[in-house]
Amino acid sequence: MSVKESPGIGLGTASAARPLPERVRMGQNARRKALTAVRIGALVALTVGALATPGFTSTLSVLSLLTAMSFIGCVAVGMSFITITGNIMSLCLGATLSASSLVFMASLGLGVLPAFLAAVAFGVAVTAAQGFAVGYLQANPIIVSIAGLALILGCSDYITGGQRIYPAGGGYQIFKEKVHGMPVEAIILFAAVAVGQVMLSLTRFGRNMYMVGSNPRAAEAAGIVRWRTVTGAYTLAGLFTSVAGILLAARYGSGDMELGTGYDYDAIAAVLVGGTAIHGGGGSVLRTLVGVAVIAAVKVILILHGFSQQMQYLITGLIVLGVVMLHTLGESR
Amino acid sequence: MTHTFALRRLVDPSVRPFTILLCAIFTLAVADRGGGRFLSLATAFSVMQLFATLGPVALGLGLSMLIREFDLSVAGMLSLAGCVAVLTGAGNPWLGAFLGVGVGIAGGTLQGLVMTGLRIRSVGVTLGGLLTFEGITHVLTRSQTIVYPNMRIALVLNEPILGVLSMRSAFTVAVFLIAAVVMSLTRIGRDVVATGSDRRASRVAGVSTDSVVIGVFAVSGGLSALAGVLLSYSLAAASPIALSDVLVPASAAAIIGGVSLAGGRGRPLSIGAGVLILCLLRSGLNAVGASPYLHEIATGAVLLMVAVVDAPLLARRVRSWRRRLSSSQLRRDGATYLSPPASSG
Repeated sequence: MSVKESPGIGLGTASAARPLPERVRMGQNARRKALTAVRIGALVALTVGALATPGFTSTLSVLSLLTAMSFIGCVAVGMSFITITGNIMSLCLGATLSASSLVFMASLGLGVLPAFLAAVAFGVAVTAAQGFAVGYLQANPIIVSIAGLALILGCSDYITGGQRIYPAGGGYQIFKEKVHGMPVEAIILFAAVAVGQVMLSLTRFGRNMYMVGSNPRAAEAAGIVRWRTVTGAYTLAGLFTSVAGILLAARYGSGDMELGTGYDYDAIAAVLVGGTAIHGGGGSVLRTLVGVAVIAAVKVILILHGFSQQMQYLITGLIVLGVVMLHTLGESR
Repeated sequence: MTHTFALRRLVDPSVRPFTILLCAIFTLAVADRGGGRFLSLATAFSVMQLFATLGPVALGLGLSMLIREFDLSVAGMLSLAGCVAVLTGAGNPWLGAFLGVGVGIAGGTLQGLVMTGLRIRSVGVTLGGLLTFEGITHVLTRSQTIVYPNMRIALVLNEPILGVLSMRSAFTVAVFLIAAVVMSLTRIGRDVVATGSDRRASRVAGVSTDSVVIGVFAVSGGLSALAGVLLSYSLAAASPIALSDVLVPASAAAIIGGVSLAGGRGRPLSIGAGVLILCLLRSGLNAVGASPYLHEIATGAVLLMVAVVDAPLLARRVRSWRRRLSSSQLRRDGATYLSPPASSG
């Protein structure tokens, strides 16, 4: 306990002006260990709780859990890239999801693959443009995402007149089938996580994202072109978000601007619960997957124990709050 | 030279909201073509009614942005306070209003305490707060719309005063005036701006930045709660879902109102002008018979413009483009040796 840590970057001169609070003085190693212990404890408790819940391990419940996870999971994976590069969150991903579901359904007449590509191209174009504004001009990410949200809502309302879009062709059912008993949605989620994680930990682009997120100036000094990295991160976010839009459209058999409502908050909640720091520079897609799984599992356990839907909302909020507070244990400031 | 100076004054962040406001009024009046649909008391009244809902939330959010934080929880607090007021105020509306605003202040204070105690960024904490407040609202209302039996209150709150205002909007305007006085004339206001500009420096200079953060979040919670209470009373109903779509317009209003997310910049009256712009776009476009999607597109366009104009690198990028253009022109003229050294953009 008496180990006095060197002041973190964020507290440079302030620590000289004012003694560090008692809690901060606790050795950082000890705090990291405590955090890991709490994390493992929570996961073990959750697993035990899940196994002890009658009906949780039934095939039906596991499959519905996986399907529910896959929609929010794809968006959360996309959101992770935005958070990791230091751009906090996008309030526009839910709207992007809905709009790509519209594009997918409207272009199904051309065939499934062209429709898929059109929807993905749309999602990528919309978020990449925001990423360019954020990266190239360093415009504020939250303002840009709100502007994007308003523009998408307005334009889609203009084009569709607020109506649902029904499939212009068939064949989209392949996205809700099962392969060897595994829902296609879940396979796509795991593929998205794998692609995202490989990008992050094995490519130069991934390393650049961490560097831009943890210290943009140092990254620029090291020769990283910041706007390319940020635009790339937003492009990935658009890619995975539009995939989620396609999956949701296929599941419900229509495209609708309501489909993505609330997905922004659910996605950032999953990112935070997974342990990715809100200020960027850390975290991973695998962590986000854990976050998605934890929130989804807690909801299922609550349902199976007969709690109301309302309690689920409350508990999710409390979990996010608790996890955010817990993470300060592992931080170096 | 003088007119470029005047132009620059007009787009200065603290004046800009008023400039945009005048432009919006002018454009809408022209779009109306003298039909009397826009420049009418009825439109002004509906603009002010919207102002009463959005204004306090935008003010609270704007104050949190002023100290370089971001209070995501305002939307949750709006619905929570509305439901608390409707549930407890059936007999005595004052009691309900008191409890609703009290919940808002308490919730904001708690979030501020967590942030300062643990030194965490506000986005994470207030995201948890948003989801928790919404959850509590769902639990309290069982996800149903609750009807407030005292219809008389709704009538009193919405009764027009002087044609344009109602009790509700007059109250909101008063809140803005009080905030403006506090922010510009008292030491509290100066401390808030100092905390937003450079927290470390203000702490060294003796500002109790922690109390400023806690205070701002308490005020932000209280203001959104106030908006929620007034809205629920005047609709004579509260529901956990219908009210939650307020975060985006509120932050848009604060940003258009010249608050910088980089902290330290923003004035209550400018935020008020920002809110008015949004309300004008919404009910003004409605009044001249434009389709509803137009106000979304207009809001988005204005926001994007503000974001790009405020972007720190805009000037540098434009300069480097210009340089590149002129150097390529020189090269075409065969005078490559005259071109300036390659830019480091």
